[in-house]
Amino acid sequence: MSLQNAGALAWLLPLAGIIILLYLLRMRRRDVRVPATFLWPERTEEIRANSLFQRLRFSWLLILQLLALGLVVFALARPQTQQRGLTGEVTVLVVDASASMGATDVSPTRFDEAKKLAREAVESAKVGDRIALIEAGPNPRVVFALSNDPASQVGKIDAMARSDAEVDVGEALRLAAALVGTEESARIVLLSDGVFEPVKNFSHGKASLVYKSIGSNDHNLAVSALGVADTGQGRQAYVAVRNPSGAQLGGTLNLYADGKVFDSERITVATSKSWGKTVAVPAGAIVVEARLEAKDLLAADNYAVAFANPGSSLRVLLVGKGDLYLEHALSLDPRVTLDRANEVPVEERGRGIAGTYDIVVFDGVAPTPVRARGVLSMGAVGPTSPVESIGRVQSPQFVSSEETKLLEGVDFEGVYIDQGLRIKPKPEGKVLATSSVGPLVVTSTGDQKHVFLAFSPIESDFPLNFSFPIFIANALDFLGGESRSGDLLVKAGQTFNVPSPESVSLRHPDGSKSESASNGSTAVVREARRVGKYQLVQQGKSRWVYATLRSDRESRIAPEVDLQLGGGAVRAVESPLRFADFWRPLILICLLVLCVEWWVFARRS
Amino acid sequence: MTTLLDPREFRVLEGLRFNPRKSFTGKIRGERLTRKKGISIEFSDYRDYAEGDDLRHLDWNVLARLESPIMKTYRDEEDLAVHLLVDCSPSMDFGDPPKLEAAKKLATALGYLGLAGGDAVYPRRIGLKEMPMPALRGRTSFVRLNSLMLAPNNDPIEHATLSGALRAFAGSSARTGLVALITDGMDPNVAGAVRALGGRGHEVFLIQILSEVELDPDLEGDLRLLDSEGPGKVEITANSFALKAYRENLKAHNAALRDAVLRIGGRYALVKSSDSVESVVKNVLKREGWVA
Repeated sequence: MSLQNAGALAWLLPLAGIIILLYLLRMRRRDVRVPATFLWPERTEEIRANSLFQRLRFSWLLILQLLALGLVVFALARPQTQQRGLTGEVTVLVVDASASMGATDVSPTRFDEAKKLAREAVESAKVGDRIALIEAGPNPRVVFALSNDPASQVGKIDAMARSDAEVDVGEALRLAAALVGTEESARIVLLSDGVFEPVKNFSHGKASLVYKSIGSNDHNLAVSALGVADTGQGRQAYVAVRNPSGAQLGGTLNLYADGKVFDSERITVATSKSWGKTVAVPAGAIVVEARLEAKDLLAADNYAVAFANPGSSLRVLLVGKGDLYLEHALSLDPRVTLDRANEVPVEERGRGIAGTYDIVVFDGVAPTPVRARGVLSMGAVGPTSPVESIGRVQSPQFVSSEETKLLEGVDFEGVYIDQGLRIKPKPEGKVLATSSVGPLVVTSTGDQKHVFLAFSPIESDFPLNFSFPIFIANALDFLGGESRSGDLLVKAGQTFNVPSPESVSLRHPDGSKSESASNGSTAVVREARRVGKYQLVQQGKSRWVYATLRSDRESRIAPEVDLQLGGGAVRAVESPLRFADFWRPLILICLLVLCVEWWVFARRS
Repeated sequence: MTTLLDPREFRVLEGLRFNPRKSFTGKIRGERLTRKKGISIEFSDYRDYAEGDDLRHLDWNVLARLESPIMKTYRDEEDLAVHLLVDCSPSMDFGDPPKLEAAKKLATALGYLGLAGGDAVYPRRIGLKEMPMPALRGRTSFVRLNSLMLAPNNDPIEHATLSGALRAFAGSSARTGLVALITDGMDPNVAGAVRALGGRGHEVFLIQILSEVELDPDLEGDLRLLDSEGPGKVEITANSFALKAYRENLKAHNAALRDAVLRIGGRYALVKSSDSVESVVKNVLKREGWVA
């Protein structure tokens, strides 16, 4: 037991002294003459004391009043005891809902174990305890705010669902710290296996941080790579399986081309080793799937998909000073893997299309020769641009545009452009849109496609217009090459946009369906949380969406004992202790004592 | 003349005489028979004639039949000493009506009984510095008795106790006789003093007068009780416990006093200060045979 406010005990002696002093004062009694006093007992109960001193006599009232005083002072000292339990008076539970929590070393899964612990914590909460729960999924979500409503909270815990995504637990922890970081008696409890990247820029403030590790084993095989490329020997697929665990594991790897098995091999992978092979893909196949049948603990990383279609996935390099609107628009495309740089990396410079990146975007930066299939440049002219710069102009007005695939759904009407370039197209340049001062959008084709926009989006309100993400998506289609199948390959748990004026429905691998509303032009799909093959139905047409987990970190499912959180190490605790205040029962006992004291007083007077 | 008794009470007392269990030696010839042989008309026994006997008591019939001189003897008749002791200590001033007022009326009534019965009545007011009054005899002395009882208590003895006064009386040369003691008995040693009276040969008629406030006190709160007859002080919290203890103490004290009186062959009665003389005469004196 410890005292949070031990200084309050200093009040005990002076206050007790005052009470005793009152009892030391002699009673001023009313004089009454009686025939004889020998018949009267010497029976005094000191009820009031108000003058001069007398000998202190035993009194139950004094004892009870001192007892009540002692209880009050002790309660003010805020005693607390240590008890076993996850929660404290104010607790935020952070439940890791990442892919690794689907490991089955704890039956049925680590995530279910975390939910069970959260449920037990909520059900064992004492009166006055407040608990909140944050689901650390692809997007951190407050499942329920600080409250004490076990029935409702248990229902919400039961409704929680895991994703097969790689999760930034740091975001959830920062959200928890924002909720209770200023309260000394609060604690943040992380229910996780610790399988996530070290968390930086995190401080739990005055709240204490408790990490409850879940999981016991690391046996796992993962399809770590799957790629398809057209080579001189035809279309080839490369597949790799990694064993990050501490034991040799084996299984059967099946490869599918457009849903049909074309290769199967029983493999054994030594600990911390990878196995890989290259295999010919049947001609004309577009979708290649790898399914690993193994008795490992995590199933989510046993599945991988690769498209033979070059437009099905795009590696994009954004070169510029930074434009969040543009970055966001690029990230919304499910095909895009985006990197950012201030200038083109040396190894990417030069001419040709065989670079690391499919597309390079120059935002306000003069384009330089790069090895990529396409270049999107905005607001600056370079030697590779399909235009020549004449000068800068103020407030050019949109005039007209061609009906082309690139500008389908894009409307420059009403877009305010603060500053732009006056340009003249080169011979290979094709003007698709014009402004009051000249060409606005110019493209060129050839070995390397080029799209030129005569102004930088940041110097206009174009990013605030609904046409902006459509223009970016169209440009990516134009520069990267459109997917012939129309199928999508996304990361499980990732939110992606589908251009659609109507809502779209998504049929999940388990047969369930979900609807995503459209804002008139785009539908945001968030429900592809688990690995598998989804069917997206859009305006009566269906396309396949493949959700995969490709994360080396999530595949290393060995539960972590020590976590690096915000620059400090946090060690997992098996059975966390909580400090429980018990001033409330003291006050109740004090009230009871005062009731007894009042009863004794009334009875004696 | 102002009297403590009204005519109705006189009528109640008319024809009644003290009825002591004992016989006492009289001082002068009176109306009460004694064990002594005397000259009353009450026959006692026969005895042989002795020279010098009064021939008027010779039984002539026996002499004629048996030719033997036999003398008839008779019981003597003498007066009865009735010591009328009225407790006039400060404690008797309590009650509504005051106990002393009731005691004086009762003493006057008892004194009238004695005077009317031809007894020698010795009235004494205990607790006052005054000389004992000589014996009062005959109805004509009622005026003096009445005046004594009406007289104010001018000169009380400081710190006098009832028991002390009774022991002093027992130790005096007063004639043995009937002691009619009217008191509230508010003295822890009064039972011992009563036994001393019995040991002196007196027959004690004790009437204990208590007021309603003594029998059922109505006190509340934190009090300091001052003894009316001494320096005694008691601090109490007058709650149910204290009142209950007081009642138990009073009951035990009264019982001890009653036992002491009965043990010496006396009579005891507890009356309230609010009881009338008539009710005391009827319900106590006549019913229990104190008077006949």
